[in-house]
Amino acid sequence: MKKMLPESELARDERFVRTKIEDRLFDPRGPKVAQRNTGPARMGPDRPAAGERSRSLMHGIFVGEIQALEGAGRTCYDFDDETAPFQLKLDMARQCWDESRHCEISVKLGDHMGTEIGEYTESTFLFAAACNPDPVLRLCGVNRALEGLAIDVFNSMKEFGNESGDPILEFCEDWMLADEVTHVKMGSDWLRRLTDTDPERRERALEFQRTVDAIFNLGGFRGDDEENPVQLARNFRRLAGFTDEENDSLAALARESTEQAREMAEMAAAALDASAQGS
Amino acid sequence: MTSITVTPDPFTLVPYDAAEIASLVEEAAARAEVPPGVEIALVVDEELFAPLTGHMSDVVDGRIVLWISGANFEDNKRPCHFSAEQARIDLAVMMLRGKDRLSEDFAEAPPDAQLSRGERAAWDAYAAGRASRLGFAVRRPRQLYDFRLQHGFTDASDAAFERCWDGERLTWAAVREICKETGASERGVSKVPVDLLRQK
Repeated sequence: MKKMLPESELARDERFVRTKIEDRLFDPRGPKVAQRNTGPARMGPDRPAAGERSRSLMHGIFVGEIQALEGAGRTCYDFDDETAPFQLKLDMARQCWDESRHCEISVKLGDHMGTEIGEYTESTFLFAAACNPDPVLRLCGVNRALEGLAIDVFNSMKEFGNESGDPILEFCEDWMLADEVTHVKMGSDWLRRLTDTDPERRERALEFQRTVDAIFNLGGFRGDDEENPVQLARNFRRLAGFTDEENDSLAALARESTEQAREMAEMAAAALDASAQGS
Repeated sequence: MTSITVTPDPFTLVPYDAAEIASLVEEAAARAEVPPGVEIALVVDEELFAPLTGHMSDVVDGRIVLWISGANFEDNKRPCHFSAEQARIDLAVMMLRGKDRLSEDFAEAPPDAQLSRGERAAWDAYAAGRASRLGFAVRRPRQLYDFRLQHGFTDASDAAFERCWDGERLTWAAVREICKETGASERGVSKVPVDLLRQK
């Protein structure tokens, strides 16, 4: 079996359609919508297109779970026992068990909301973070950055279930959320143990985590404000071992990303208008 | 002969074809049995993309006036591309609601921008059920979830949904009654206007 599988070689059946993040970034409608009031992005039953937004996010969670399963599985296999201790691989095997259960729960939640597998496109940049050849960097990118994001996403969906009176969504998200807290702790523990005598490697790993965090803040997807669809779940992050300083820094990074996205949208809208006037 | 107008024509942000959409509107109107001679005006907001979906059906001076987000016509698997299959379903639901407004049964109904979310969800379920029986590929679980979001995840709400979905001749009064039964009419008014996506 091949080691270090690139994201382009992930196995999917004909129901899945892959998309690139650039497709959305260069969509000419993006700057137009950014200038409009489309309501609070935070999930709620009284928000415009509430049902469709939640279905689309749920499908995104589902494909994210598949990729998390693939990422943890690759970490069990890609490294020898010297590079990645056997106990670390056992933790990753345990995580595979959790992620496969999350996939099944997500499929059922999709049924509950009225979606089908593969109804929306799949972006694989989550798995891309799980391709780092250094196991410490990989764990930081996946278990601390992405599983940290999963805490935020699941908590937002759980709150949406609570607000809309949907006990199925609320409890399913809560059960998955509990696992994510464990996954983040695994990442934090292994980061400490494997870099105990190598502060430089630890810093590189944390830098990689910040890069992954920044990617997933893109355009204000996650943050502390109403305009962020996914809210930073500070309490659950604390339980998972993130310090208040780390949470504050992530919130600041999210605000920066939102502001950058706004500036880019304004520039793009101005360029589009100038182009339309010139034609 | 029904007069149909589609705006914008041409589309400038997405490769949608106004003539193709007009022919789908004509098909939906015929299958929904909109009386011949009724003018139909459809505005597509091409700036909006998935998942910012939404549509509205009103009657103004005897004309059916429709508004829809471009996201409703967008192929979920191919962003920016038109999905005729998806458009057929939404246009059928819109047309059935437009036809309802032309009848005495819904004469008292306020314009779509003034409907509560519960009223709108019940009316949509009623239209979607009929569209399904007309042969349009409406997905019932999706409609049920949208209904539950506004009427609650309860047995009473599910029973109300069945009545809407199976209904062949509901009235505006029946829609309001359903909202009372499920408690949807008791819900506080949201600060988010129901036609927010339509406002520019």
